[in-house]
Amino acid sequence: MAYNGGPMTEAMYYVLLALMHPNHGYQLMQAITEVSNGRVIMGPGTLYGVLTRMQKDGLISLAEDDGRRKTYQITPEGEQALLIEYGRLKAMIQDGTILEEGDENE
Amino acid sequence: MNETVYKLRPSDYWRIGEHESWFADMAAKGLHLKKLGLQFVKFVKGEGKEMRYRIDVSIEKKITPEQIQMYAESGWDYVTSNKYFHVYSSPVERNAPEIHTDPAEQSYTLKELDKKLALNAGFVAIALILMISMLFAIWFLDETPTFILVQGIAIQQTILAIFIGYTAYTSLQAAISIRALRKDLINGIPIDHRAPWKKYYQLNSIIAFLFTVVVGLSAILPIVQLVKGETKTLPEASLDLPIVRLAQVEQNPALVRGEPFYMSDNVDWGNRYTYDWSPFAPIQYESDENGVVPGQMWEDGSGEYSPSIHTRVYQLSIPSMADNLISDLIKRYNYEYSDEDFVKTKHPTFDLLIVHEEEAMKEVFASKGKAVIHVRYYGYANINTVIENIENKIKLIIE
Repeated sequence: MAYNGGPMTEAMYYVLLALMHPNHGYQLMQAITEVSNGRVIMGPGTLYGVLTRMQKDGLISLAEDDGRRKTYQITPEGEQALLIEYGRLKAMIQDGTILEEGDENE
Repeated sequence: MNETVYKLRPSDYWRIGEHESWFADMAAKGLHLKKLGLQFVKFVKGEGKEMRYRIDVSIEKKITPEQIQMYAESGWDYVTSNKYFHVYSSPVERNAPEIHTDPAEQSYTLKELDKKLALNAGFVAIALILMISMLFAIWFLDETPTFILVQGIAIQQTILAIFIGYTAYTSLQAAISIRALRKDLINGIPIDHRAPWKKYYQLNSIIAFLFTVVVGLSAILPIVQLVKGETKTLPEASLDLPIVRLAQVEQNPALVRGEPFYMSDNVDWGNRYTYDWSPFAPIQYESDENGVVPGQMWEDGSGEYSPSIHTRVYQLSIPSMADNLISDLIKRYNYEYSDEDFVKTKHPTFDLLIVHEEEAMKEVFASKGKAVIHVRYYGYANINTVIENIENKIKLIIE
């Protein structure tokens, strides 16, 4: 399923985020745990699936392939998609502030 | 060399969770998964060990070294593959993270398989429909199903169709189940890695066994029919066979056998008998005999008087089929005659006796117990002579 600009899955969002620095396989998994402050622990199957799909969609590309190990990087399209998603998430958080105001009113 | 053990799969190949829990249970008993076949699974005997197994689906039959390495770095060792299903294992104490941590993402891995299975199910369904309509034509086009059954010509195709029917059923089930699994994953419901497998095991084994036996037997059936069946030239001397002979009907010493008009494989097909076998009629004879009385003419002057006789004999394995067989024989060989021409007659010997007389042609259908005889005779002898002869011959095959 090609990425159509709609809401991203959590896995996509964090992989793109982690790929702001080119990375590969196992280290990428660590990086995801790091950027999510230990909240997201991604399994290798999920990571591999997301990587192949996003590469097909042009959101990421291969930075290096020495045959044994592939290093991925985010593409300009990927970066743009990530920024749009970030904006969307931020707007969602802002919209949610009424919940906190509601608490104050009680 | 470690001992290997083969086991039948406990359930259909697309039941992912059931297989994962089965592999784990086997490993705990010391049987470690080695190879995944279509029906059988190969294990290597060793120490019992607490293991986790995960099946990963991908439409590529070959998985990339990158994927294997990525999984290995997370603690999952590649074991084996079968078609689109790839198995990884990890000892419980290694505490590896789950391969798929996001069910929605995992649902993407099933997308292509889902499409393929749906297409498959479609094809098999079409094949089944074609097969069924073909069989339907064989069995019912002449409206003589009992005759077809007794002859045993369509039994193998029918069993084959049942087999294809079962295949269609399972491929439909596979398509539906994978689609349902995909929907579950999209909705965030992960695969149950400890799904119980035992409930399918017995059923699956029984079905596999039955199918092997039935399909195996049906493959032998035509060979048995071929080996057992034979056609020979009728000797002029009397035989110990349940066939009504021309000389016995004609009772004329001047009767001689005519010149063979069709010879093939050293058999005079105008004076022959054929033996056949089928499960529903283990003894079947069919015979033709042609004679001529030199000097005597047909009454209409059309030539030398040349009577002939055609006999069909069946010993059925199920006696209650006799009436239906006779009605089918009449339907199949009545040519232009209508049903009213065939007259049911009472007779102390036979269970059913139907006669049909048309100038020089005399036809008799008779049954007694599991024996059925049909005689078509062209000549001037009385029909009662034919019936008497059948009475004598049917005794040979009543038991």
